[in-house]
Amino acid sequence: MFLQQLVNGITQGSMFALLAISFAIVYGTLRLVNFATGSLYMVGAFAGWMIVQFVTANLFLAILAGAVAGFIMGFVLERFAFRALRGVARIASLICTIGFAWFINELMTVLFGAERKAMPPFYSDTAFVISGVSVSWLQIILVAVAVVILVLLQLLIFRTRIGLAIRAVSLDFKTAGLMGIPIDRVISFTFALAGAMAGISGVLASAYYNAVFPFMGNIAGLKSFSAAVFGGLTSIPGAILGGYLLGLVENFGVQVISAGYRDIIGFVIMVVFLLVRPQGLLGRKSS
Amino acid sequence: MRRIVLVSILAAALVVPVFATGQTEAADDSIHVALSAPITGDWSEYGVNFQRSVEMAIEAINADGGVLGGRTFRLSVGDTKGNPQESATLAQKWTSDDSIVAQIGAFSSSSSMAAQPIYDAAGMVQLSPTASHADYAKGSPWSFGIVGTQAGEGPFNAAFAYDDLDLRKIAVLHLNNDWGIDTAKYFSEAFESEGGEIVGTEFYFDGESDFTAVLTKLKDSDADGLFIASFYNDGAGINIQRDRLDWDVTVLGPTSLYSPQLISLGGDSVEGLYTATGFFAEDPDPRLRAYVEGFTEKYGDPPNFHAALAYDAMFLLADAIERAGSTDREAIRDALAETSDFPGLAGSITFTERGDANKGYSKLTIADGRFIPYE
Repeated sequence: MFLQQLVNGITQGSMFALLAISFAIVYGTLRLVNFATGSLYMVGAFAGWMIVQFVTANLFLAILAGAVAGFIMGFVLERFAFRALRGVARIASLICTIGFAWFINELMTVLFGAERKAMPPFYSDTAFVISGVSVSWLQIILVAVAVVILVLLQLLIFRTRIGLAIRAVSLDFKTAGLMGIPIDRVISFTFALAGAMAGISGVLASAYYNAVFPFMGNIAGLKSFSAAVFGGLTSIPGAILGGYLLGLVENFGVQVISAGYRDIIGFVIMVVFLLVRPQGLLGRKSS
Repeated sequence: MRRIVLVSILAAALVVPVFATGQTEAADDSIHVALSAPITGDWSEYGVNFQRSVEMAIEAINADGGVLGGRTFRLSVGDTKGNPQESATLAQKWTSDDSIVAQIGAFSSSSSMAAQPIYDAAGMVQLSPTASHADYAKGSPWSFGIVGTQAGEGPFNAAFAYDDLDLRKIAVLHLNNDWGIDTAKYFSEAFESEGGEIVGTEFYFDGESDFTAVLTKLKDSDADGLFIASFYNDGAGINIQRDRLDWDVTVLGPTSLYSPQLISLGGDSVEGLYTATGFFAEDPDPRLRAYVEGFTEKYGDPPNFHAALAYDAMFLLADAIERAGSTDREAIRDALAETSDFPGLAGSITFTERGDANKGYSKLTIADGRFIPYE
């Protein structure tokens, strides 16, 4: 059972990690918590579902569609909701993300209805069984996709010019602007990138739980935000670690205590940890 | 003068429909019953189906020779608009009309409960096809509900699991709300008194979509059956994730799972699942076929569970009047309270002391992507 919960936890953790990164990228560059992340996750899931439903039942194409939808939505969100508010009180932007989240959620409810849509099962055959633990192909694919994306993201940020620009903006966007970095374009790209991460996470979750519905992002968003804080909000490796840890803690919590307490266990550990180490696992200590 | 005439005409126009509703060619010795239903408003779909079903039932009973040696029924219909106050106003109207012997309605528990004190004080039967609130039927000796409660369904499902499916150790997974807690509780108590063992009980909150962790835990419990007190959407998610864990276990659930949505969401993973229902529209029983086909032909759509309950309510009332041997309001109440194993289309009806129905259900299973009767 220990092994099975470990497998469950890693699978769930992969989705949390992608979504936590989405929070971390935006926070890292703009010092802004994007509460619309859960909605971008949901929009990604819907995009994937539409590909599967109306075009072709291909999981990888659905993931791509989710990434594209998230990328575009992230871009739109930044262009219309944040650029005008940049430099004004940060609380205005924060409220704006919440408003945007509700707007998208309600819009999708009006367009598609509140009921759950079925995502057909993909690769649900068992890949292998070790000592009573069954691992499905889908779980392997989900974890593999998450890992590949995480590696690509690290490469993008540390090995490319745009990555260098993102790092410069995240350190100090005024100075970066003075150095000739086009900060508007960099921030747009950052938001879009965060949207793509959320979109991919949404498609993975919809394939894993076989369901798509307008409010699917609310709890997932909240939990991943906590995972990002746990990992240290400004740090991408921290967000990844936080996501996987949350997945594991939840699943072992269910095993040891009860499913009803899964959220309580996760959050109690997080609160206690943050009391001791407010900057999170890998976060920078603010001066 | 002209104004008075105009006003009188207007007033007459307003009053006429009140007298006109349903009073078709009233024979002198016909039996007058009332129906309160949300004919307009948010719940009009249900209310209109109530009226259609009760009218169909009266037609069938009258064509069959009526009750008490040839006396026919006539119906007055009142619109509650889904509003408890309207329902209470209607109750005043029905109870003050001496020709009315009993009332069928209302649709919602709150409308039924708002009218309850009036029927109670006047001494008239209030027979609701659909009110299921635990406080409704027990609120007055004159109030009856036929939709059934979890206290009745639990033992049925427990016997299904123990006797028919030969399950001895069951793990229970339930939704954590009033309904889910009750459903799990009544099932577990009944299953244990049958001699079975509940080897694990777990719950989840509304909105949860990850069941893998909790299923992994329950899988460890050595159960040969899994009872899920869920609605169809969670039911589908639970089975997909159970399937992925390779947990080959007999799955059983209450009537809430009976929806075509369960199969379209759950796909192959719900094959072989067992559930029950009060009203199975594809049942080959000739009485049920006659109702479903007659209704569909007349109104275009097949009747649902709620419509069938209204149909049952009228037949039950006619049966009670026949057994009472009179149309006295109190005699009808006493006869109704003694109802036992009345063969309703939406499940047989036996009243408890409180006035709730212990229902009979039909057992179902899923094969080849369809609900079929379990044999």
